[in-house]
Amino acid sequence: MDRTLKALSLILSYPTRELQLAMPEIGAVLASDSRLTAAARRALRPLVDELGARDIYELEEQFVLLFDRSRTLSLNLFEHVHGESRDRGGAMVSLIETYREGGFEPATSELPDHLPVLLEFLATQPAAEAKDTLADAANILEALSARLARRESPYAAVFDSLLQLSGAKADSEAVAELLAQPDVDPADLEALDKVWEESEVLFGPDPNAGCPQVRDMLARMDTPPSAAPSPRHAAE
Amino acid sequence: MSHLLDRLNFLQSKEVGKFSNGHGQLTRENRDWEDTYRNRWRHDKIVRSTHGVNCTGSCSWKIYVKSGIVTWETQQTDYPRTRPDLPNHEPRGCARGASYSWYLYSANRVKNPLVRGRLMKVWRKMREKLSAIDAWTAIQNDPILRASYVETRGKGGFVRATWDEATEITAAANAYTAKTYGPDRVFGFSPIPAMSMVSYAAGTRYLSLMGGVCMSFYDWYCDLPPSSPMTWGEQTDVPESADWYNSSYLLLWGSNVPQTRTPDAHFYTEVRYKGTKSAVICPDYSEAAKFGDIWLNAKQGTDAALAMAFGHVILREFHLDRQAEYFEDYTRKYSDFPMLVKLEEKDGRLVPGRFLRADDLDGKLGEKNNPEWKTVAFDEASKGYVAPNGSVGYRWGQDGEWNLEERASKADTRLKLSLILDEDHDAVVGVDFPYFGGATFGQFNTDANHPDVLTRNIPVKKVKTAEGEIAVATVFDLFCANYGLDRGLGGDWVTRDYANDMPGTPAWAEKITGVPADKIIHVAREFADNAEKTNGRSMVILGAGINHWYHMDMNYRGVINMLVMCGCVGQSGGGWAHYVGQEKLRPQTGWQPLAFALDWGRPPRHMNATSAWYAHTDQWRYETLTANELVSPTAPTGDWDISLIDYNIRAERMGWLPSAPQWKTNPFEIAKAAKAAGKEIPAYVAENLKSGDLEMSCEDPDNPVNWPRNLYIWRSNLLGSSGKGHEYFLKHLLGTDHGVMGRDLGEEGRQLPKEAVWHKDAPRGKLDLLVTIDFRMSTTAVYSDIVLPTASWYEKNDMNTSDMHPFIHPLQAAVDPAYESKSDWEIFKFIAKKFQEIVPGYLGKETDIVALPLLHDTPSEIAQDQVKDWKKGECDLIPGKTAPSFITVERDYTAIYDRYTTLGPLMDKLGNGGKGISWNTQDEVDNLSDLNGVQLDGSAVGRPKIDTAIDACEVILMLAPETNGEVAVKAWQALEKATGREHAHLAEGEHHNKIRFRDIAAQPRKIISSPTWSGIESEKVSYNAGYTNVHELIPWRTLTGRQQLYQDHLWMRAFGEGFMSYRPPVNLKAVTKAVQDAGDTLVLNFITPHQKWGIHSTYTDNLLMLTLNRGGPVVWLSEIDAKSAGIVDNDWIELYNANGALTARAVVSQRIKEGTTFMYHAQEKIVNTPGSEKTGKRGGIHNSVTRTVVKPTHMIGGYAQQSYGFNYYGTVGSNRDEFVVVRKMKKVDWLDREATAKESAE
Repeated sequence: MDRTLKALSLILSYPTRELQLAMPEIGAVLASDSRLTAAARRALRPLVDELGARDIYELEEQFVLLFDRSRTLSLNLFEHVHGESRDRGGAMVSLIETYREGGFEPATSELPDHLPVLLEFLATQPAAEAKDTLADAANILEALSARLARRESPYAAVFDSLLQLSGAKADSEAVAELLAQPDVDPADLEALDKVWEESEVLFGPDPNAGCPQVRDMLARMDTPPSAAPSPRHAAE
Repeated sequence: MSHLLDRLNFLQSKEVGKFSNGHGQLTRENRDWEDTYRNRWRHDKIVRSTHGVNCTGSCSWKIYVKSGIVTWETQQTDYPRTRPDLPNHEPRGCARGASYSWYLYSANRVKNPLVRGRLMKVWRKMREKLSAIDAWTAIQNDPILRASYVETRGKGGFVRATWDEATEITAAANAYTAKTYGPDRVFGFSPIPAMSMVSYAAGTRYLSLMGGVCMSFYDWYCDLPPSSPMTWGEQTDVPESADWYNSSYLLLWGSNVPQTRTPDAHFYTEVRYKGTKSAVICPDYSEAAKFGDIWLNAKQGTDAALAMAFGHVILREFHLDRQAEYFEDYTRKYSDFPMLVKLEEKDGRLVPGRFLRADDLDGKLGEKNNPEWKTVAFDEASKGYVAPNGSVGYRWGQDGEWNLEERASKADTRLKLSLILDEDHDAVVGVDFPYFGGATFGQFNTDANHPDVLTRNIPVKKVKTAEGEIAVATVFDLFCANYGLDRGLGGDWVTRDYANDMPGTPAWAEKITGVPADKIIHVAREFADNAEKTNGRSMVILGAGINHWYHMDMNYRGVINMLVMCGCVGQSGGGWAHYVGQEKLRPQTGWQPLAFALDWGRPPRHMNATSAWYAHTDQWRYETLTANELVSPTAPTGDWDISLIDYNIRAERMGWLPSAPQWKTNPFEIAKAAKAAGKEIPAYVAENLKSGDLEMSCEDPDNPVNWPRNLYIWRSNLLGSSGKGHEYFLKHLLGTDHGVMGRDLGEEGRQLPKEAVWHKDAPRGKLDLLVTIDFRMSTTAVYSDIVLPTASWYEKNDMNTSDMHPFIHPLQAAVDPAYESKSDWEIFKFIAKKFQEIVPGYLGKETDIVALPLLHDTPSEIAQDQVKDWKKGECDLIPGKTAPSFITVERDYTAIYDRYTTLGPLMDKLGNGGKGISWNTQDEVDNLSDLNGVQLDGSAVGRPKIDTAIDACEVILMLAPETNGEVAVKAWQALEKATGREHAHLAEGEHHNKIRFRDIAAQPRKIISSPTWSGIESEKVSYNAGYTNVHELIPWRTLTGRQQLYQDHLWMRAFGEGFMSYRPPVNLKAVTKAVQDAGDTLVLNFITPHQKWGIHSTYTDNLLMLTLNRGGPVVWLSEIDAKSAGIVDNDWIELYNANGALTARAVVSQRIKEGTTFMYHAQEKIVNTPGSEKTGKRGGIHNSVTRTVVKPTHMIGGYAQQSYGFNYYGTVGSNRDEFVVVRKMKKVDWLDREATAKESAE
């Protein structure tokens, strides 16, 4: 089993006393994985320390606020891919089937696209496959990392590490698209305003061009709200 | 995906083969796109379900499931066929419903039980050493600990909990509250049971077993039209939507059928192809307006004036100048038109008084049973006074003459409608009618030139009574005078000229409503002409647009008057079609025992929610409306100058309205004291109330012992959607941050209530515990202390019925509840189990006392023919007569779970019934023992089991006449005893029709005709209300037994509402000088209709629906108003008044009438709502600028149809009379800085 992926699955799970007790061991696993750069390992330390030492209620409140309550930080990956579109059910069905092909039956009340579930599954799979799967999710990981970084949350480091493990670099075009997406952050006010804006209806020379409002609307439905720009991207 | 690249435009490949003799050919196109459809149809199973709260569409859906995941849904198309010549019901379902499965896995779903972090921390700490109940006690006894979580409500800070832990807290809180203050301090709120009746019943069954309070919703939502119980003695009964197709004239009035009744709208469009004409009345150019052959854009809130003018024309042309035979015949038999009214003298002037009763006359017309409840008419046949059959006096205490045959006891009669002929009257006298249209305010002030009393001449007979000789007139003659019709009797305020500006005429109405008089005359003529030619096939579809006003009764009674004048009620294709918040729990009498645990103890504690919220959220402390502004200039002498809450207190005291809590003292303690004193409980309670040793809670709602302590909210978004006076809820009931800007009566130095105790400082945070059960993190959930995740509509078994169609169909668990959620039935079962576990030693077998108001459809509905207040010494306190009944209920708190899961023995002992009739139901109980099995051990050993939600469904189906033909026959036979007529033929042939849960899972099933409802299911007619009254001669359940257009109760007369008249909106004075900022000049009437993209079946946080609209809260404005305040489309604007503030985007449209602003209701605070500049808090919801105002006439009780019934009569939460300041926002602040991240939920 890939103990690093398993460790990351654990620290993205709801904090419990059991987790707190296991944090030294989890921290050790993460600190010793050479696939991660020294900087990445260092970046994980504050979260490891916090999970080990901070008041459990504060940890729980923080987790619920971040991951249960904030749509843009949902740990259900398809929330960021399919949103509430019709494709989501089908995508989850495929994922369950992937787990079954890999020899596992989900035994949790979490949905199959819950990141800790996926990480645990990947931990049991050949390294190359795990890497590929993570690479597929690179854009989402990047987006979550950016959002968490903006909230100055130590959880951001987990997503940076996952990105490193995937060996992938977020697709710059996709990132550009994500830049246009709304977020709840005050810094993104203008982005949110953009979503509200309705495009002008033009009765131009081409009658078959379709209604621009509908087109924009459909485009918005196709691309669910996901990552917002991070300071880092702005600098790139 | 582009197919252009994969397709050859100019060449054809040689490799393409052909088959089927060249008719088919093989191609090489990319066919990946087909996979989308293949995958979509790749499912393991299809399950029938529907969307179960609040949406009355009641549409059956196919839910597609693959590998335990719901993939999508499509409409079911297998409703049973209708008859030839009538379109079928389907397709039913709308865009909102079709987007639901996408919502199932939304990030907004509640995944685990959540508890406020600070509460959890202290709870766990206490639990280390203490038992659950002791832990809760310790927290409540420490003000600092209690405040630590109370003050953080709405500010985030949730942690996950296990089911064990979360339910242990709620159970401990309930037990502590019951023992410390009384079980009547545990409240529960859930709406619209018809839509998922088992989910509703789960909570109310638990509450009823422990003595908690079930709160009403229909009146609170202001969807209950009080005019319906006033006129018909019926909560609401309406035609199914298919009956629109039988109409030939459809008037849509304040109802937006294509937008809010989407699945039914097809009948409306279809019938127009048949030639049916349609007129639409609404102030804005709504979706419905487009369907009208004519659109009357009456000014909002003035509909009663329009209705009066319609009535004026109809009476003139069809009743007076010419008597349409059908109308005359109909009104003689089915309305109170022929009944005689005493003219009462006040200061030398005459006003319409009480109905003449048999009791008033010498010899009482030979009536020994209830002569004071038998109304009197003049009989043409015998040329004398008679007490016609069917009045409420015939209903109780005797059998066989409660019917609408043209008889008085055994003698045939022909009642006289009018005394207009010279030989019929003894005199013509001047009678005073109040006029309210003159003195009003602001934009409604259009008719200042008429006095407030109009005297009109009336033909009368002089009759000798016990009080001496008095004048009496028929309702019809008074009614015509009230409409300002000149009948050649001379005198003022009547006219023959439509163009005369006199109250009642089209010209007068034009001035008030803005609708041209010629259009009014045109529509009135067509409406009546059609009804005359078709025997009543003119229908009015009406709704929230005219029902949500403070004086909604006037709007509605105006419409009802038209329908009755034209003989439309009870006729297929005609009648009164009120569709708003409508619910018809068709198997009602089967469901009630389950829902209110009538099988274990009776009665349950029912509370009218409007009065309760008014008191407990302290909205009464800010009351700006005084009774002086409401009382009629013609009011009988009386003590009318009291506050609105004082009226409510009197109503509770006299047994008119229920009370929750009941008394300052815990009912357990009262019962113990009575036993110790060796006295009967009712007598003991009466004695102590009289002496003042026992005080009613309603008299001092701010006293800590009278606070509601625990509140369960399930299937509802009380704080996000239906909580009128939202900011007052936050301030006083919850005790957290709020946006109330006005000051209370004490701070303002205004007159304080006379009956209610005034505390200088109002309490903050009355609730100890707020528990919300929901599947999504709604606005209500974010304010709760505990949030329990419930199953959504594709994850539970339940049942669903509607008034829109006659079918019953199921919700089914297509998949297991997602995450840690459980169905409502299982959640309350869990709580009950936990309660039973922790309670021994603390509570055991306890004697509880329930104060029961004088209920409609029971003998106590004729308790008070005169208004007398025992506290003022006007009469003795007699429980059940001049005050509530005080009924002992024995509870066993150690058996709550055992009882929850079994059908109790009272069904065997007391039988079942409803609406005034009852029957033995032993056979059904035995059948349930066989079907569900019996409990093998525990305190409920031997009783039929109700373990699962399906067991609960079977209980409902077995006990209800609508779903069990054998019971239907019994029910009709029970009614036959009262009416003396044969009715069982209506259920004949249905004896052996017993609908089971698995039957409705296979296909929706049509229900069986039952006396619970006034329409029938038949192959000949569609369901329509009043059908059995007209065709089976079953009386309406009113004082006169007829459709009652005159209301003679003292309070009705005092408030000038004996007859219908135009009453402008009330001035709530919420735009005060203190609140209004300089420079903010735009003040608009604030209207909250139902929206298009998130009515009920999905909430307003569904991303797809948000995308189709504008993604967050919006408010509609007219172009002219917007321009005056410098607002352009899509600007952020702020709306505020003394009640609070809200923020939204402006939609500027020609559609909106100047002077109004629309905010569609239930737009969530949790979605894209920036901070308010006015309050500095996150902008509120639509109810942030509203406040509840109660109306005294809705409190009347113990008086035939004006008697209390749960969700049937009582105060209603109106919300259309409010005005707001509208301004453009200077700066948009999302209040989302890191420092306040924790408050993001706020």
